[in-house]
Amino acid sequence: MSFPNFQSEIYKTLAFAYRNILITKRNFFTIFETLFWPLVSLFSVGLMGSYLELTEDLLAFIMIGAVALSVMQLAQLDVTYVLLFDIWSKSIKYTLVAPASFSNLVAGSWMVGILRGLVAFAILAFFSQFLFGLNLVKMPILSLAIFLLGLFMNALIIGMSSCIFLLLFGYRAEVAAWTSTAIIMLLCGIYYPVTVLPPEIQTISYAIPATHFLEYFRSFYGFDPSFANPHFLGYTLNLLYIIIGGIAYELAMKRARKTGTVLQFSE
Amino acid sequence: MIAAQCTDLSMVYKSFLHKENEALRSVNLKIEDNQIFGILGPNGAGKTTLISIMATLLKPSRGNVKILGMDINSSKNLKRIREKINLTSGNPNLIWSLTPFENLRYYAFSYGLNNKKKIEELLEFFELEKQKDIEFNKLSTGNKQKVTLARAFINNPELVFLDEPTKGLDPGMAKKLRKKIKEYQKEKNITIVLTTHYMAEAELLCERIAFINKGRIVAEGTQNDLKNILKIRDRIIIKIDGKLPDLSQKLNLEGVQLIEVNKGGKYTFYVDDSENRLEKVVKKVSEYGSIKNIKIKEVDLEDVFSELSKRDL
Repeated sequence: MSFPNFQSEIYKTLAFAYRNILITKRNFFTIFETLFWPLVSLFSVGLMGSYLELTEDLLAFIMIGAVALSVMQLAQLDVTYVLLFDIWSKSIKYTLVAPASFSNLVAGSWMVGILRGLVAFAILAFFSQFLFGLNLVKMPILSLAIFLLGLFMNALIIGMSSCIFLLLFGYRAEVAAWTSTAIIMLLCGIYYPVTVLPPEIQTISYAIPATHFLEYFRSFYGFDPSFANPHFLGYTLNLLYIIIGGIAYELAMKRARKTGTVLQFSE
Repeated sequence: MIAAQCTDLSMVYKSFLHKENEALRSVNLKIEDNQIFGILGPNGAGKTTLISIMATLLKPSRGNVKILGMDINSSKNLKRIREKINLTSGNPNLIWSLTPFENLRYYAFSYGLNNKKKIEELLEFFELEKQKDIEFNKLSTGNKQKVTLARAFINNPELVFLDEPTKGLDPGMAKKLRKKIKEYQKEKNITIVLTTHYMAEAELLCERIAFINKGRIVAEGTQNDLKNILKIRDRIIIKIDGKLPDLSQKLNLEGVQLIEVNKGGKYTFYVDDSENRLEKVVKKVSEYGSIKNIKIKEVDLEDVFSELSKRDL
């Protein structure tokens, strides 16, 4: 790829980061989203742990579930918003008529999602230490980065899936933006090990990357993971789903161009 | 050079319950570059579908479309086509919470461009400097439409599709925008394909026009071509104090194709060219009574439009 082409691709990606940042900055609701619900979740789980007099390791076990849910939800919302903002403002055809690709769309918005996710994680880690004496960052920094990047990649997959559902089903799929992370977390052991789930459900759980990243995190607090090197397994699944997601988006877009869904969104 | 060419183009929308709606039927169209080409037709005729296919937003059910020499059915061409075209519609919708400047910057980025000078230029051309930092949803409809038009030129396109660009605007603003569109096309030597309901808009802007009705192109050509194709003639309406005899012989006047008797002593003469025939018609009519009033109605696109819309396809 020549330099002008590379530069052009960078700008196309930055377009979506630029737009998401401006909308986030201007919209009180998105700031609320970054702070309010994650803190409510942390306080409720932390207080419950204190009441039940859980050991530090057990408290870390459930607390990381609450933190991971918040971080993943925030990161995936930015990716989902990349199409939702257009759908809400009935301007999707202007985004789709531009030469930016799906990878530009999701990469740009994902960058903002990562930023918001990191801010939320830092705030939650601070409050968990300050209020409940729990150190969520006691693992080596590289391991923490492996854990967070794994979660962010899983968030990217959820966001991509929501975009595909939006293209296929329109406004009816809007609800996926807020519910999909909760369902995923329910399956991947938010406050419990996946071994407590029925065996059939466990199979689904192990197919979710976040399951392995939670087990990876919890291994630093003395809980054995179901598989050796859970982070490798998590990354393998992440990459596989990202490739599948890219192909599925192209197919969904082809269908949307055939059925005229794109025009319906702009009317 | 041909800017856009459609061959045997058909589009069938299939709904979830398999109800089919045929929006375009075997459309053949050739649009030369460096001109404003109009697509006219009644509501539901297929104008937006046709323009959306050419702008790569829809995939046709059948047929070929070449944009700037590239086939839109080949997915590897889509990116290259999109770099060179742009589109805007009569519903002025951009991201609500962004200002005109931010919206234009975002769309410039989405074309891989980081050119603040171009954005400033467009804001100036469309007289939006004072509104550039006001959120889009707080702008008047006219200014919103100006921003969406400015957006259509952000990537220096060779071909621009304008889908009813003055829809819902007051006459003053519509006139202003038409002038801007014409000016921009002349200045940049680009091709503009526009759909419209407004005959005055088509007459003012378009060098060539295609009429579409029920998914078919029913006529295409320059304004004069269309008037000639339909054999619609100019009309001279004369009110006299008297009565004309033997209308079946058309008073032996050259160029008069029909004489219609109206109420109140009014006669309508359908002539091939009102300017050249007026004198002789008036002279002849005055032999039968004193002339009270003369009106000339030259055929316009409105007549062509209503004639074509009536035709059963």
